This record gives sequence, C-alpha cells and structure tokens, in this order.
Amino acid sequence: MSEFTYIGKKVPRIDAREKVTGKTRYSTDLYPAGMLWGKVKWSDRAHARIVRLDVSRARELPGVAAVLTHEDVPGHNGFGIITPNWPVLCVDRVRYRGDALALVAAEDEETAERAVSLIEVEYDPLPVIDTPEQALAPGAVAIHENGNVMHTMELFKGDVERALAASELVLERTYATQFMEHAYIETEGGLAVHDPETGVITIWCGDQYAFRDQLQVARSLDWDPLKIRVIGSPTGGAFGGKDEISVQIHLALLAVRTGRPVRLHWTREESIRVGPKRHAMTTTFRIGAGRDGTLRAIDVKVVANTGAYDTIAAPVLNLALESSPGPYRYGDSHFLGVAVYTNNAMGGEFRGFGAPQVVFGVEQELDRLAEELGMDPIDLRLLNAVELGDVSALGHELRTSVGIKETLEAARENDLWRRREAIKAELDAAFPHRRHGVGVASEWHAVGLGVGIPDFSNIVLEFDSEGRITMRTGAIEIGQGNLTAYAQMLAEALEYPIDRIEVIHGDTFETPDSGTVTASRSILINGNAILDAVARLKPVLLELGAEVLGVPAADLVYGGGRVSVAADPGRSVDIPALAARAEAAERPLKITGAAIMAVADKDYGEGLPHNYYTYITQMALVGVDTGTGEVSLIRAISVPEMGRAINVHGVEGQCEGGLVMGQGYTLYEEVVVREGRFLNTGFTTYILPTSLDVPEQETIIVEKPEKTGPFGAKGVGEAGTVPITPAIANAIHDAVGVRLTELPITPERVLAAMRERL
Amino acid sequence: MKEIVVTFRLNGKETTVSVPPALTLLKLLRERLGLTGAKPGCERGECGACTVHLDGAPVNSCLVLAAQVDGREVVTVEGLERGGELHPLQEAFIEESAIQCGYCTPGMVMAAKGLLDRTLDPSPEEIRRAVSGNICRCTGYTKIFAAVRSAAEKMRGGA
Repeated sequence: MSEFTYIGKKVPRIDAREKVTGKTRYSTDLYPAGMLWGKVKWSDRAHARIVRLDVSRARELPGVAAVLTHEDVPGHNGFGIITPNWPVLCVDRVRYRGDALALVAAEDEETAERAVSLIEVEYDPLPVIDTPEQALAPGAVAIHENGNVMHTMELFKGDVERALAASELVLERTYATQFMEHAYIETEGGLAVHDPETGVITIWCGDQYAFRDQLQVARSLDWDPLKIRVIGSPTGGAFGGKDEISVQIHLALLAVRTGRPVRLHWTREESIRVGPKRHAMTTTFRIGAGRDGTLRAIDVKVVANTGAYDTIAAPVLNLALESSPGPYRYGDSHFLGVAVYTNNAMGGEFRGFGAPQVVFGVEQELDRLAEELGMDPIDLRLLNAVELGDVSALGHELRTSVGIKETLEAARENDLWRRREAIKAELDAAFPHRRHGVGVASEWHAVGLGVGIPDFSNIVLEFDSEGRITMRTGAIEIGQGNLTAYAQMLAEALEYPIDRIEVIHGDTFETPDSGTVTASRSILINGNAILDAVARLKPVLLELGAEVLGVPAADLVYGGGRVSVAADPGRSVDIPALAARAEAAERPLKITGAAIMAVADKDYGEGLPHNYYTYITQMALVGVDTGTGEVSLIRAISVPEMGRAINVHGVEGQCEGGLVMGQGYTLYEEVVVREGRFLNTGFTTYILPTSLDVPEQETIIVEKPEKTGPFGAKGVGEAGTVPITPAIANAIHDAVGVRLTELPITPERVLAAMRERL
Repeated sequence: MKEIVVTFRLNGKETTVSVPPALTLLKLLRERLGLTGAKPGCERGECGACTVHLDGAPVNSCLVLAAQVDGREVVTVEGLERGGELHPLQEAFIEESAIQCGYCTPGMVMAAKGLLDRTLDPSPEEIRRAVSGNICRCTGYTKIFAAVRSAAEKMRGGA
C-alpha cells in the first residue's frame, strides 16, 4: 500500500473542468471593447540591407491608429534570452524572413493587413547563407560583426585519440537532423493595455517565464519593470518555443503609442516562419570499444545551424554535447560543438534541448556495435550503463538517483522485447508487403538549468479563515499539469484536502518569481520550494496553536491539518481557526518558501554539467513497406525513471505526448528552408502525426526516489520525446537491414537506402 | 459592404446577428458573440481546433461563413453542459486526463461527440477516424482514445 494520500496518484487536473468546457481564457481569447488589431511587417528577404523603409502610405490609410518602426523603440532594440541581438524592429539590415520591420495597429484586422501591404521597403540584397558549410567557407559574408561562428564549446577527459587507437573496435559515422516546428495549437499571441494614470502596461501572453518577459519588455521600452505586468499563464502549448519573446514587446509598443488595448496573434504561417525551431545539427561520432563490448572512448563533433540570432542557442549546443555520450561509462572523451549563423530558420529552444539531434546518432552507433559484436542491444547497454557514484563521460560524479539499468531491465522484461521474434513473424505473415522490426534506445536527460545559471524558485502560501489555501507560483501552466502536481505536493506535505487549495500562477503582479518552466525543472524546483514553505509554516502554526490552546508550542504537534497537544490529542485546533486567529491579530498567515537547484561537483562553464537526470528507455515496433518505403510505428513503450511520479497520469501524458512528438520528428516533420525561403508553413505541407498515425502506447514507470527531490521526484518533461527517434531507426534496421542517418526518415530515404544495399 | 442578417439557433437559443459577408462562423462566435471555446489554430481547416456542430455534425467553423448558418443549428463546446452537468465526454476527458494544454480540447470533444451521436459502440478505428482532423500536439492521443471509449461505455450503460 502506498504511503501517500496524493503523491503517485491519478489525481484529476485542477484545470481540467475549465478547459473541457471551453471556459479557460487563454491570452488569445481576449477581445475587449475598443481593441485594435496589430500586424507585423516581416522581411521579404532572407539577407539584405534595408535601403528605404517608407510607412507613409500605411499611416495615411483610414482606420490605422499607429505604424511603428525602429525609430519608435525607445530602449534596447533587441531581445534574446542570453544575448539580446534579435532586433525588435530592424534598422538597416534583415537576416532572415522572420525579421520584423514595422508594426501596425488598426481598427480591424483587414485594415491592419492592408496597411502592412502598403509599407514599402527597398532592399539591397546580400548573399543568402543557406547552410553552416557556406557560413564557414572562406570569404563568406559575415551575418554578424563577430562573424558567422556564434558559439564554440569544447570538453575533454583524458586523451581520446590514444584511447581510440587502443580500442579493438572503432565506429565512425555522421548523422544529420532537420529544423523542427513546435506546432503548439495556440500560436503566439496576446493583448496589451497601457494605463496612463498608473503607467502600468499589462500584457497577456501565453509564455514560459513571465518575469523574463517583463525584463525584456522593460529593456526595450526603457520602462520601469515594476510597471509591466505580464500574465503568461495558461499557455496553449509551448514545448520550449514560448520561452523567448514573440509578440510581447511589439504589443507593449503599440499599446503605449495608441492608448488602446491592442491584440496581436500570429497566423500559423507566421508562427512557423518567425519563431525559434529545433536546431538542425550535424553530428559526427567516433566510438571505441573492446571486443567484450566495453566502451573505451567517444569523440563527438556537433555543428548546429542556429539561424540569424542567438536567443538561447549556446546552451542548446552545450546540452547537445552533454547528452551525446548517453548514460554510459567511457574511458576517454572529447566533445566539440560549433553553432553557426545562417539566414535560415531561427534555431532555438525546443523540448529535448539539443538532445534529440545527438541521441539519434549515438544510440544507432551502440546498435551497430552490438551487431558487430553479436551482442543483444540491451545487454550491451546494460554492460556500459552508468551507476550512482560513477564518473560520467564528461568527468563529473553522478550523485543523484541513476535508474538507467532499471529502465533497461524493465524494457527487457516487456512482452514486446521478449516475444519480439514471434511478434515480427506474425506481422510479417499478416502483412506480406511489410517487414517488421523492433528497436530500443535510451537517454539521460538533464534536469535543471546547469551549473552557474541562476536556478531558483519562490512559492507563497496564504491562508484564510475559511481554511482555503492560496498557493502563488510564477510557474506557467503550459499544459504539462504542473499546477496539479504542486497542489498534490502541498496537500501531501500539509496533510490537507487538495480541494481547499487554489493555485495562482504566472503573473508578475500576483505571484513570486519561480523561474522558467523549462529544462524539466518545474516539479523539482517548485516542489522543493513548496516543501520549504511547509517547513517554515509549521513552527508558525505551533505558535498560533499555543496562543489559542494556552499550551507552550513545545508541547504541541502538527498533523492532519491540526495543531494538537502532544500529550492530549483531543485538545486541538484546525488550520481555519489558526488562520482566523492570525487574521484577528492582524498577522495574516502568509509564508514564502524558496529553493535553489543543487548543482554538480564540476563546473565546465555555461551551464555544464547538470546534477540531475531523467533516465529513459523507449522501444518501437515498426512496419516498413518494402514497396513504398513507408514506415508505420505500430507499438511503442516508454520506460522513464524520474525519481518519483507525483501524478501518474501526468508522467504517462508526458511520455505519450513526447513520444508522438518524437515520432513526428523521426518520420514526417521538417521545416524546409531553401535559400532563406520557408516552403511549408501550414499543416498540409508540414506533416504532424495525427490520430491515424500514432502507435499503441504503454508507459512503464520506474521509480528510484532521489533524496534531494520533493518526495523523491526529479522531472520528466523532455526525456519522453528523445530516444524514440533512434528506437524507430534501430527498428527499421531490424526490419529491413538499412541504417538511416538523416532525419526525417521519409519513404524516399528508406527506399534509397534499401536500393543502395541491394 | 452590405451586411447580412442571419438568424440561427446557437446552443439552443434563437440568435440574430448582422454580419459582413466574408465573416467566418469562427470569428462570429469568438469576436462578436463572446464564445471563445472554438479556437483559431490555423484558420484554414488543417487543425480542427475550431470544431463545432452544424445541424448535428462536426465542422471546422473557420471554413464556414457566418452567413451560411442562417436557419440552422450551431452547438459549441459551451452548449454541452446541461444544468451544471457535464456531457459524459467532458467527464471522461477529465477522468482519463485527456487534456494537457487544452487548446485543442473543445474541438476534440466536439469531433468525438459527432461520433458518439451516431454510435455508442465505436471501434478503435472509428474513434481514430473521428478525431483524425483534430491535431493535438500534447497528449499523443492515447488518453483521448481512452476518454472516447470510456464515455461511449458510460453512455451505453443507459446514463
């Protein structure tokens, strides 16, 4: 029997009823009276100097309230999570077709669109840098003053060349991945209002970190940040794509200029063209091993196509390096990453954060090694899997729960793995035009922002005399169910009914700063802040209890929502009465809890490495049509180890949804950019997995509680989307004997690989 | 431009509005009638987030002109509750945790209702087909299938 009341249970989401009835108000659902419609004039060129920008005809159009250009940006004309060099409105140059040139606000949408079409721009074209190779070629035009290399990172342990030379087996191969679109169903959008009396700008915009948006808006408007209210929650899907600024600064500029509420809501085309994507990367692996299957050395080189501006590209590349060896022991290692500017799509933050690109390669290399040695792929992984206390391939000690072996063992016990030969034979017989295969792959996924990057949370609890608790968190509900998990953790820690807890979230005026909702961090860091608040609360409750009961606090105990006399449990007082007492004494019961993310024992700079990891193994059963090359994902299993599951439905949901997102990445999805032109900006050409494509799924939760996590939890938001890609690729190899090294694995690529093999 | 007067039943209530000829049903609902349950995910019939029922069948309201609904019946997600009671599909979406960000949810529920209005014994294949025009980027669909199955079972049970 479980020791918990709420933890590890399928507690219904606290926001579910509002969402299923259509009552939830997202930031794109607001249409106040007197509202203006905003539109953006985007660049018509991928790379050019701006010779002339003329907005006079747009300004003269009846119904237009404002047209703004770079001259109307009072503060820093740039934004970006790390280096703010992405222009709010371009001055003299455009670097991709998502660059903004001017803003319009008009009485209705059609007028705003017409005004945008009246803006005249004269360009002096510059060579379009389409690939990292072109960017790095001698004499290439420099996209930025500092050249075309945006970021370089190198890490090593020992002497990899010597270790490779001494290895009995050395595998080498290069893998290439594509730009991927987040495709949240709510595209970027919101509303802003400026109150001239108070000077407050209020911005409703679904995001991932309202407090960073507040800072970025303040910087560009040269405005007091405390007079910028950002309401960032809830969000209609984010997946990393809404951590960066989208409409917020543009909205604020238009609202201040016009004095009216202004709405901006990107079309699907704008969302695909303008916002950050998963970076396209090319990764070369050299892996050395002994004949017994022991991994000796790994050398990794990653080149990332980062697009026109920085946003958060450096940490993405860094995490790609950290993720690239996988959860395995090696002897010596070397990792080199280069992020390169181009005039393509913007590379940025996307669930998985650099890991999917490299795990696609390393987990196929391990399969190749197993095949070469005649070993079972799971046995090979188990032989090399890291354990608690091991030194990682990067050189830091693994000091928090390590469950990779348990996930591999659970996968091995699963029916799909044990009976795979029989399952394949049955399907081959039933569908003779297809060949079937089963593949496995694993990953470790960093949790938290990493060494040296501020990584904290604050939580505020307030109690009223009715016994209701208001929990305030800056965290954003981007869909993952974190608010429900917070309520569960508070209810459990305080032994209090969950239905008496209300959560206020993601609002810079109403909640404390709890950090960004990224990096699979929000359960761990906010959970610890909640536990800290409860620890601070209990002595306060005992003091209040002492006043009410007339017994010294030292003789009192807290339990089950009551303070009782230890020696006489019949004498007690409950939380509502304690809150009433506090209120009457004009000391309302309000507690702040805080937490700081624990970090690794080494510091390699720029957020590397991490202290916590989610471990996960995924398996795929595929059918490959030998006539068309089409791959069907038939069954898929996720085996995550996330410390402790706070909400079982939540963990399953992250794995199931992450896996399908990974299926899309593997088989269908690519933002196609040719010479800076975006060729597929809608869902008839950018192909997402639908209900007809997705596999039968099962999630097997492995728990290995981590003592520094709340109730043992780490995080699970990202890992579920990562190893499914190489699991599918390994299954394709199992089915038809070919290795695909380029994503997405389209029917054309499968057929070409099969022909090459013949 | 000359406006068109349209009279239709909206969630059971007779409604008369005057609309420009090019206004879509989705925009009418959201911008003029305050019903924001139907969502604009693409506004070209590719995502299904704007699904409502027109004369009892699911349609993408972004592809229907407001003027076309004259004399017809429109039901949106806001019209499913009966006297504070949720529709069994809504209950099932909550119980099975078939909701994450929730932006596709109203359209998904309306698409699934289109199926359960026709049959209370759908096959797994029919469930997949019924929501195949509705994109969910969060859940991977597994729990959505489970919710539709569970609602059908409950409704078969004679609730």
